[in-house]
Amino acid sequence: MKVPRWSFITFFLILAIAVIGPMSLSKGPQETVAKPFAPPVWSGGDAPPPFSGNLSPNSKEMNIEWDWDAPENLTLRGQLTFDHDVVARLVWTTPEGSKYTLSSFHGSGVWSIDLDARDMTFKTVLGIPPFASATSLLFPSRGLHALSLEGPSPSEGSLELVLPGGRWGLLGTDQRGRDVLSLFIVGIRVSLLVGISATFIASLLGLSIGLASGYLGGVADSLIMRIVDVLLSIPILPILMVLVGIWGKGLWQLVLILGLFSWMGTARTVRSLALSLRESCYVENLRSIGAGSWYILYRHLLPEAMPIVLAAVSLGVPGAILAEAGLSFLGLSDPRIISWGRMLHEAHGFGAFTAGAWWLIIPPGLGISIICLVFLDMGRSIEEMADPRLRGGGQG
Amino acid sequence: MWSYWSRRALGAVAVLLLVIAANFFLFRVMPGDAVSTIVDPRFSPEAKERLRELFGLDLPLYRQFLIYVRRMLTFDLGISFLSQRPVWEELKSRIPNTVALLGSALFLSSALGIWLGVKAARRRGGLTEKLVLVSGSVSFSFPSFFVQLVLLLFFAYTFPVFPLRGSVSIPLPEGAFARALDYLWHLLLPVGSLVLLGFGSWAIYVRNLMVKTLGEDFILLARARGLPEGRILWNHAFRSALPPVLTIFLLALPGIVSGAVITETVFSLHGVGKYLLDSIMGHDYPAAGAAFYILGLLTIVSNLAADAAYALADPRIRVGRRAQR
Amino acid sequence: MSITYRTPARNVPAVRDVSLEIPAGRITAIVGGSGGGKSSLIYGILRLLPPRTELSGSIFYDGTDLVSTDEEWMREFRWKRAALITQGAMNSLTPVLTVGYQISEVLQVRLGLSRREAEKRTLELLAMTNLTQIHARKFPHELSGGEKQRAVISMAVSCFPGLLIADEPTSALDMITQAEVVTTLVGMVRDQGMGLLLVTHDLPLANSVCDDLAVMYEGRIVETGTPSKILRSPSHEHTRKLLSAFSFKGGARP
Repeated sequence: MKVPRWSFITFFLILAIAVIGPMSLSKGPQETVAKPFAPPVWSGGDAPPPFSGNLSPNSKEMNIEWDWDAPENLTLRGQLTFDHDVVARLVWTTPEGSKYTLSSFHGSGVWSIDLDARDMTFKTVLGIPPFASATSLLFPSRGLHALSLEGPSPSEGSLELVLPGGRWGLLGTDQRGRDVLSLFIVGIRVSLLVGISATFIASLLGLSIGLASGYLGGVADSLIMRIVDVLLSIPILPILMVLVGIWGKGLWQLVLILGLFSWMGTARTVRSLALSLRESCYVENLRSIGAGSWYILYRHLLPEAMPIVLAAVSLGVPGAILAEAGLSFLGLSDPRIISWGRMLHEAHGFGAFTAGAWWLIIPPGLGISIICLVFLDMGRSIEEMADPRLRGGGQG
Repeated sequence: MWSYWSRRALGAVAVLLLVIAANFFLFRVMPGDAVSTIVDPRFSPEAKERLRELFGLDLPLYRQFLIYVRRMLTFDLGISFLSQRPVWEELKSRIPNTVALLGSALFLSSALGIWLGVKAARRRGGLTEKLVLVSGSVSFSFPSFFVQLVLLLFFAYTFPVFPLRGSVSIPLPEGAFARALDYLWHLLLPVGSLVLLGFGSWAIYVRNLMVKTLGEDFILLARARGLPEGRILWNHAFRSALPPVLTIFLLALPGIVSGAVITETVFSLHGVGKYLLDSIMGHDYPAAGAAFYILGLLTIVSNLAADAAYALADPRIRVGRRAQR
Repeated sequence: MSITYRTPARNVPAVRDVSLEIPAGRITAIVGGSGGGKSSLIYGILRLLPPRTELSGSIFYDGTDLVSTDEEWMREFRWKRAALITQGAMNSLTPVLTVGYQISEVLQVRLGLSRREAEKRTLELLAMTNLTQIHARKFPHELSGGEKQRAVISMAVSCFPGLLIADEPTSALDMITQAEVVTTLVGMVRDQGMGLLLVTHDLPLANSVCDDLAVMYEGRIVETGTPSKILRSPSHEHTRKLLSAFSFKGGARP
């Protein structure tokens, strides 16, 4: 049993990620998760990584080793349940030993805590003016900080302390503080969807026009081929831009427009195949035993053309994906739809360069390239299956 | 000879008419009111009336089209909504930039690609051939703007040796020489990126054609004549392979013009492609249409130039006894 | 000498232990069916075999062993000492250069003639095969098959080589043109006192012009001698087959 080509395996992998990936994300991709332009966690650099820790009835104290400048923010969220009437306090200790009370609890019951260092109430509790930074008060210098719950233990519940840090996730954040990895995973769908459906439309068009042209011959044929020639000799991207600009930037408009302007290559190939088949003895014989035109077209020419069309689909998808990405990169796509091209557009338009945010550029760019390579290779192997002469060598 | 040229000229006229017709119908028929795409709603009633007359908006459609064709051919391209100036005035200064970008990129990438392709064909299995095959597949599947963005990030941010944006520095440096140098400095990265993206496909095509040509009998006979290897390679093999190379060049032209839009956007160059994008984004229909028309014209003109080169390269056309194919 | 083509699958011997003498100033013909190794033999002499082909043994030309010389020496050797007229003249001239240019190019590059001298000499050479300036200005595809083959002959004698090697010089031509080309070729060789190695599958043709005849079959020379002797009493099976094939004149081989 032969091992399938790498491209087929990769394709199914990508497909799986496109389907399962968005479901497995805990937060929506549009949600802000960290500060803008946070580099990936693994990238090193001066910025602190995100920190999170828990306080619970069992561990009432938490040490935070902080070797960076004060973090952007600090959040403390959770619930604590006290069975008895108590007086408990959440205390923050700086390396110098200064203590700040962040919150205190009087009485019994369930306490919900939702503290954000940027909130006015938080600053009021600390006794600092509204425009001062609470975190620079809590992190005056580098070293060991501590958060502790003073007083009797709660019976249940927990508190989560989160310091966003300057780095985030596997692929960092974009200009709005969104998680790039989530955006990247969600973006696969648009590339695949647009690429495949636009090429499908184009191939159907190309197949029918090519078959018609080759089979009808005569004036119709030469007229169609002239049209193909003309369409092939004008730059398509400007036309697409104009059409998108006029028709609107929706996903399906885009698919339709791309499909309408990329059938020419397939039509040409199918036509030449139809021409050669029409003249072949085999079809002559069919005709001589009284087979009708439609019968021949449907039962013989179409199956012959199928592998070619399939290969054309696979080879055409990269073109459509690149066109979609190009248009999105130019900003001619729906801003609400996340796609790789759109990500690059925003990276280019919203200052990824002044921030040196390579993590906004490399993932979507490589993603597009890899998908294109996968489809190219699949197309080639389908071509080889259809035409054994292409096997081996490959070049030359 | 004549049949070749008349066919080519006819083709060019057909493409030109198609571009003009596409322009006419796209911008006029598509979104609702015809007037709104030509006449800015903010114009004064008198100005609107004048434009109405100028465009013949009250006449039947075919008369409007004829007027439109005449205006296009005389570069009377309308008034921009955004700047309220004649579009042609705005475009005029941008055309040389686009031509310089595409022309130099095309020349350099084809020269490099041809040289590498010939070298690869001569030494099958060598390092050059591997480089050619890899760079070819890169240029087929890597989106141009991605490669350009990475280059920009690397050469304008990490190692800031090139400018981040624009065609010239602001303020302009003093002196003609300094200005020329400044222009070149701004052009280098865009052109370099286009060359990097383009030479691979050239090299692959040339290599494949040369491998085929080098297997022909006439090359064996040239070798039997004891001609030096370089002469066989360039004077005999390459010249024979040149016509199909030019055919591929012709087929690649529209894509190259499309690439101008992307490149000019990435590097914020003052060119026709960027103008097209800005106009579309700003719903400046006359400007968008005009930029589209100019890009179409650029394609047609370079198409004709390539046709002329083809005729020079292939004696079967130059003398024209037998039709090609 | 022996020639072996190496393919990935196996080594294919094309010429096996051939020993042949081509006397100066005489016409020697090699005949044989397709695939008999005739072409391999002559491309072996000029060392123009495809890469990964093994050439062993020795080829002496005026006392020099061509097998052991370096490529630069061979380049100098080709055309000045031994020139080639190939099979199927259709494709033996570079299609994008005029016939005149190609001849004068050889004269300029190989003999160091100035451009003017070379052009003058080209016309003289073409005149030897009854071609004119009009033909010189034309591209190969504009010449008829016979004209093209005559131009190739003109080019072959441009450096006055001691040996002309003609590989099926007439196979792509019609009968009348064949006769014309052969007459031109033989006349030229006799006039200039060159040796000619004529390779053909056409036994009657070989018989009519050559001084010595060799029959080649499956990479071996199976018979040598004067044409009259071989035709009268062929000793090898293959020679008899060739003979009988031609006795039907155009009929298929049995």
